[in-house]
Amino acid sequence: MKGAELVRNSYFWKVYKRKFAVILLLGLPLSWNSSHAAVLDGMMGGVEESLEVRVSKKGEKLTVGNFYTAERPDAHAPIGVMGDHTHNEGEFMFSYRYMQMYMGHNQNGTTDLSVGDVLQQFMIAPTEMTTKMHMFSSMLGFNKTVTLMAMLPYVSKSMNHQTRSGQTFTTDAEGFGDIKLSSLWRLYAVSAPSIGTHRLVFNFGLSLPTGSITETDQTPMSPPESILPFPMQLGAGTVNILPGLLYGGETERISWGLQAVGDLPIGENKRGWAVGDSYFVNGWGAYRWTNWLSTSARLNWQWKANYDGRDPATNPNMIQTANPELQGGQRLNALGGINILFPEWMEVENRLAIEFGGPIYQYLNGPQLGLDWVLFAGYQFVK
Amino acid sequence: MWKVVTVAMIWCCLAILGSGRAAMGYEVANVANGATIAGKIVFAGTPPAPRVFDGQKDPEVCGKERTLTRVVVNEGFLKGAVIVLEGVAKGKPFARQNFRGELPGEGEFHHGGGSGLSLEVRTKGCNFGPFTGVLTPHDPVRFLNHDPMRHTLHTFAVGGEKGGVLRTLHNRHLNPDRVIERTFEEGDLRKSRVVRFACNRHDFMQNWLYVVETPYFSISDEKGQFAIDQVPPGRYQLVAWHPILGLRKKEVTVEEGGQVELNFTFSRAGR
Repeated sequence: MKGAELVRNSYFWKVYKRKFAVILLLGLPLSWNSSHAAVLDGMMGGVEESLEVRVSKKGEKLTVGNFYTAERPDAHAPIGVMGDHTHNEGEFMFSYRYMQMYMGHNQNGTTDLSVGDVLQQFMIAPTEMTTKMHMFSSMLGFNKTVTLMAMLPYVSKSMNHQTRSGQTFTTDAEGFGDIKLSSLWRLYAVSAPSIGTHRLVFNFGLSLPTGSITETDQTPMSPPESILPFPMQLGAGTVNILPGLLYGGETERISWGLQAVGDLPIGENKRGWAVGDSYFVNGWGAYRWTNWLSTSARLNWQWKANYDGRDPATNPNMIQTANPELQGGQRLNALGGINILFPEWMEVENRLAIEFGGPIYQYLNGPQLGLDWVLFAGYQFVK
Repeated sequence: MWKVVTVAMIWCCLAILGSGRAAMGYEVANVANGATIAGKIVFAGTPPAPRVFDGQKDPEVCGKERTLTRVVVNEGFLKGAVIVLEGVAKGKPFARQNFRGELPGEGEFHHGGGSGLSLEVRTKGCNFGPFTGVLTPHDPVRFLNHDPMRHTLHTFAVGGEKGGVLRTLHNRHLNPDRVIERTFEEGDLRKSRVVRFACNRHDFMQNWLYVVETPYFSISDEKGQFAIDQVPPGRYQLVAWHPILGLRKKEVTVEEGGQVELNFTFSRAGR
C-alpha cells in the first residue's frame, strides 16, 4: 500500500510513532463516555434477556454494567498478579510489592544440567541468580470505566558464576527498571445472587525504556568492568506494548479469575537487541474464610521467545546469558497465597498479601538458569 | 496505519454521538385558575413483611440491625406511591420541598425547586432518604453525606423485559462531608422510567425513584393521600407507581379551576 509506506517512511512517523502510542493510550480514556459502554451493553442484550428470565424465577434482579465492588479480601487477585482489578471513579490506590526470585540450577529443555555440563559448552557458567524487586505502583479510577495504573520497579540482581578454571565470581546490578503505564477498561459485568458476579476487563499499557541496559560490573574476563549479559540488565531498552484481557468471577465465598497478558517489544533498543515476546496466563481461585481473610491458589503459565540481536560488547560464545538464542522457554508455576483485608482506618482500605510458589514444569531453551522459587509480598492502601 | 486512522475515526464518531443530549421539553409558565387532582392510594391485602438486615458495616452509626419496609400501609392506605400527571408541556414551577426518610435513618430528598427539580440527596443515619421519590433527567443530582463514614453510591436504571435488569449508571464512593454531583441523562436511562439508588456497603440503603419531566407529581402521604395542583385544563394520563407493587394508569380530563378526585388501588406484591 503506497500511502501506508509513505507514512511509515516519513520523518514524522519514525520520530513520533512511540509518542503517538502514548497519546493514544492516554487519549482513549479521555474520549470514553457512557455511550461507549452502552454500545457494549447493547451487544450483550441477548445474554441479559436470558439471564433476566433465569434470575427472575428466583425472585432476583440482574445487575449489569461496568460496576465494581470491593469490600472483600479476595476482591484483589493474588498479589503476584498485576492489573487484575479496577477502581471506582476517583478512587486511588497505592501499593508496594516485594518480589524475590531464586534461580539455582541450570537446565536445557526439561533436563537439569550440572555446572560441568554447562562448562563443556561455555567458558563461564552461571550457577545461581537472585532477583529482588521493590515495585511501587498506583492506580486511579479515572472515570467509571477506565482505571489508570503506573508502576515503578526498583530492581537488584545478583548472579554467581564459575569459570572452567574453577574460579568463582559474582556480578551485581541495581537500579530502577522500566516504568509501566497501563489503562484498565471495565468492559462488562453481570451479577445476581444465584449466578454470582462475572466481569470482563481489558488492559492496554506500555512499558517505557527507563531501566538501564548498560549495566557493567567486574568480571575475570575483561577487567576493570564489562557490559553484563541480558538477564542482568535492568530494563528492556524498548517501548513494549502490554495488552491483556481478564475474566473474573465471584460468589459469596469463592472468587476466581483468568488473565492473559502480553509483553511485546516494539523494534530494538539502542544496543541493538530486543527482548523476546512474552505471554502470560494466570488462572486462580480464592476462598474467603472471613470478611478479612482469604487464601488462594494460582497457576501461572509463562512463554518467552528468544531475544533478537545481540549486544556487541558481549560474547555469546563465552557465556549462555549473552546468547540471544538461549533466553526463551516456558514454565508453569503453582503458587499459594493469602490476602488480608484490614479494618478501614480514616477511610483508607488496607490490604496485605503474600504469595509463594515455584515451577511444576519448565522447558528452557538452554543451557539456562531455571527458576526454583518466587515470593511476592505486598501492601496496598485504597483511598 | 490506515487501520489506526479508521479506528480513531470510529472512536471520534462514537464520542460525538455519545455527547449529544436531548433537550428538556417542559416550560415554566403562569397557570391562571388551574385545576386540582387529588385522591387516595388504597392497598388491599397483606403487605410483604419488612426485610431485616443484620451484620452490616458501621453498626455504631447504622445500628446493629436495620429493617427495610418496602410497602408501608396505614389502615388500608399506601404511603410512598408516586403519582405523575403525564403530558403537561407548560405550567407551574417545581416546588421547594423535603421528603424525610424512615427512622431511624434521617436522610432526606430535598427539592430545590424553581425551573428544575434540583434534587439533593442528604444522606444521614445510613439513609439516603425515603424509599420512593422522583428525579428528572438532565438536571444534576447532588449527593451529600452527613455520616461520619463512607457510603458507596451505586445507581441503576431499571430495565429489561420484566423490569428485572438493573443497569449501572454510577458507582462511586461518597465520603463524609463530601458532595458528588451526577446527572441522569436520557441516553443513559435508555427509556427506563425508574432509577434505583443503593449503597454497596449497606444493603438496606436502597431507594427507588420515578423519572419525571414536570413538577406535576405527588407522593402519597401516611394516609395515602395525594394532590396535584395548578393543572392547566386538558386531557392527561395519570400514573401511579410503586417499585414493589407496579404501575397503574388512568385517563383524566380537567377543566379550568376544576377539582378532580381519583383513587388508585394496589392489591398485591408485583415485584
